[in-house]
Amino acid sequence: MASKRVGIVVVLAVISQISAFPTPAGPDDKSMYNRELTEEKPLEQQIAEADSIKKAEPKPTPPAEAESNSEDDDITFLKSLAEKSKESNNETPISDSVDERYGTDEADTTKNRRLADDYDSTKNGMDYKYQDDPESFRQLDGTPLTAHDIVQKIANKIYEEDDRGVFDRIVSKLLKLGLITDSQAETLEYEVAEALQDLITKNAKDNMIGDLSMDYPVNSVKDTQNNMDEEDRPSRRYDDEDEGDDDNGGDDDNGDEEREDEIRDDTVRAEDSWDAVSDGNDRNELNPEDGLQDLQFFPNFYRLLKSLDSEQDKEERETLITIMKTLIDFVKMMVKYGTITPEEGVSYLENLDAMIALQTKNKLGKSLVPLSITPPTGKALDDDDNTKTEAANMQKEYETLKDSTKDVQTAAEISDNIAHEKLLHFCTDQFLCSVEDYDLSKLRDFMDQQVDAYIDKGILEKDEGDVIKRIYGSL
Amino acid sequence: YCQICINGGISFEYHRYEEMRKALVSVWLQCPSITRIYTVGESYEGRELLVLEMSDNPGIHEPGEPEFKYIGNMHGNEAVGRELLIYLAQYLCNEYQEGNDTIIDLIHSTRIHIMPSMNPDGFEKAASQYIHVWNKLKFLKGIDLNRNFPDLDRIVYMNEKEGGSNNHLLKNMKKAVDENTKLAPETKAVIHWIMDIPFVLSANLHGGDVVANYPYDETRSGSTHEYSASPDDLVFKTLAKAYSSYNPVMSDPNRPACRKNDDDSSFKEGITNGGAWYSVPGGMQDFNYLSSNCFEITLELSCDKFPPEDALKQYWDQNRNSLVNYIEQVHRGVAGFVRDLQGNPISNTSISVEGIDHDITTAKDGDYWRLLGPGNYKVSASAPGYLTVVKKVAVSHSPATRLDFELESLEERKEEEKEELMDWWKMMSETLNF
Repeated sequence: MASKRVGIVVVLAVISQISAFPTPAGPDDKSMYNRELTEEKPLEQQIAEADSIKKAEPKPTPPAEAESNSEDDDITFLKSLAEKSKESNNETPISDSVDERYGTDEADTTKNRRLADDYDSTKNGMDYKYQDDPESFRQLDGTPLTAHDIVQKIANKIYEEDDRGVFDRIVSKLLKLGLITDSQAETLEYEVAEALQDLITKNAKDNMIGDLSMDYPVNSVKDTQNNMDEEDRPSRRYDDEDEGDDDNGGDDDNGDEEREDEIRDDTVRAEDSWDAVSDGNDRNELNPEDGLQDLQFFPNFYRLLKSLDSEQDKEERETLITIMKTLIDFVKMMVKYGTITPEEGVSYLENLDAMIALQTKNKLGKSLVPLSITPPTGKALDDDDNTKTEAANMQKEYETLKDSTKDVQTAAEISDNIAHEKLLHFCTDQFLCSVEDYDLSKLRDFMDQQVDAYIDKGILEKDEGDVIKRIYGSL
Repeated sequence: YCQICINGGISFEYHRYEEMRKALVSVWLQCPSITRIYTVGESYEGRELLVLEMSDNPGIHEPGEPEFKYIGNMHGNEAVGRELLIYLAQYLCNEYQEGNDTIIDLIHSTRIHIMPSMNPDGFEKAASQYIHVWNKLKFLKGIDLNRNFPDLDRIVYMNEKEGGSNNHLLKNMKKAVDENTKLAPETKAVIHWIMDIPFVLSANLHGGDVVANYPYDETRSGSTHEYSASPDDLVFKTLAKAYSSYNPVMSDPNRPACRKNDDDSSFKEGITNGGAWYSVPGGMQDFNYLSSNCFEITLELSCDKFPPEDALKQYWDQNRNSLVNYIEQVHRGVAGFVRDLQGNPISNTSISVEGIDHDITTAKDGDYWRLLGPGNYKVSASAPGYLTVVKKVAVSHSPATRLDFELESLEERKEEEKEELMDWWKMMSETLNF
């Protein structure tokens, strides 16, 4: 299954120099039914035809089933095409009339299609230039690309242009000319899609910190919904581990441990690389590979860090980071041991970030002036003071964390109170507020019952149900 | 993380499975007296096929109250329908609370079932891997759920030629469904759902084009494109237009095709017959019509199957009115009860309309709903062991015309005839002095 489509891609990618492209056929459903025409000429036969036009490499062995096509066939095919195009060196572009010819009678294209013509580049004019054209399928030195390269190229192009039309253009042309079958197109799609997926993941990682810190609003604590979504996209790992799924209780433990280890290791690396980082490369300033993934969710903390980007602040920065990471680890541990729920942990940390915002405001208001004005010696002194102040603040917070259960419960209570208020808005609902029926205990029982039923059926999580019951119980 | 989000605001963003679940829970918490969440079964990977039900008495079929359903995201990578249905649930709850009379009446008179995703597994795959850049996703082992339903079209086409039933063609459900290994769990769950609840009207939401598609989906001759009218072709056209006419994009006669070489010659006024567009065997739409009383159409809502998140609000704006108006179509045609002379409901009575070769049946409480366009009709009710009754009725645009039947059982008729005979004999004997 690996790469039979690649050979075809080469051919048509070459032809794809043309500007005007037919767009691919419609929804998924359609593709299965408009494609009977492509079934008729299996790949091997097409290769055979192609080879017969000019002197060729040894033909690929025709396998019994189309599916067993091997890498060799493709490479052979590629080579043969490369040679063919080397010979032809033709400049004639494919005219629009050709497009029309293939576009008109879809139902009976066997009549219209002349594969010999397609492969005879003198007629169709495969516009083969040896420049570094992203659409061309050759490397700069003229050697043909491997199947993998081609898939990568397509994926790159799609990623850069943010447009799946790139792929569609190529594939639809291929299919229309009957050079690949539907299933081959599917295979190609898989391969390219996988490559694209890798690209997205890789680039998302690289750009994650920079992007996120741009996107966050200042009051991120209130905007909790956005927080969740932002978290989802770049680092699902965070979401998965802290979701608090009952099923994944065991997994969470393992995951947390691994991440803790990783972070400790990465912390060492991070400290080493600070010098390089502070050279002002904003986007990659906080490279996630350095184990700072956790910190990306604290935009105010980041802002604070960013404000400490001078050489003098280096120590302060490192202290801050260490303290923050310790706090996060602490919270994670509490979640792991069940002292608090993941939700409570998250909201605690979010509250923490909000507190940092406040502190940052205060701090920046005071510190920027002495930093910029005082001479080196004076500066050093101030720096120490600032560092100490900041460290002291952090230490205070850290110490309050030690009395963890109380703090976290407060956070939970706060969220409960908010929910409580909102719950009272239920009175617009006639069930709850109709004069005849209003009976709090009945309502409570009803909701208790519903909640239990929902938990049974997997509609509600146990902890969600408990919170709801608690709130109704406190009304 | 919003533990209980009861603010009622609709956030126009994508919902993964957990988020979808929480969104529905939020609606339920906000409107607990008119909503209920239930699950129809589990997907292949164990996710619940969640449904949010809205009515004035959730959880109960009130006799005479028509049942309606929306199903979205049966193709995992066609994401817009799923999201629209989540927004719709929130919207209906909000509007109800704010005293919107239209919505209040609708919820009081209908039982609305909203299933945002019939294929939550597929969606997770599509969402996690490709988001908006790559919106056509196929899976090696994936099943296209819209080709997975028992193909009843073939049976009805055979019956048309050779004679046979024109409705409820899924015989021997245990074998055909429960013992059929080719059916995906999602398909099975939905089939059971269709059999359990007497749905009257439905729509299933797709993406990849913009049109309202109606039965039949499979062509009679087996060719790829052929107009394949169902007996209710007129009704379906009306229903489909009821959706498309409120969607400015769908009903725009000058709308360019989604892709340059698309063949949308069959699209007229934003609607199309399924077979005329392209043949689809084993689809859920036709399955509804041929196995149950439910009339279902297929809504294609976006050229882009998995558009960028910031486009979602615009899709909501385009579809909101259509989505509500389409639900209202359930209150059309004729509706009523079939009872015996003692007032007991007779279930499974066939309701036939002269000139339309498709019967529907009464539900457990003897209630039925026969969707029809405006006009004059002859409607008959027949049940085994009872004498058929035919009535003439004039149907307006909306609401449905109430039409009840009282059926006399054959036994009763025999008794009556006997009595009549005795009376006649008595009279004759007296007159003739026997």
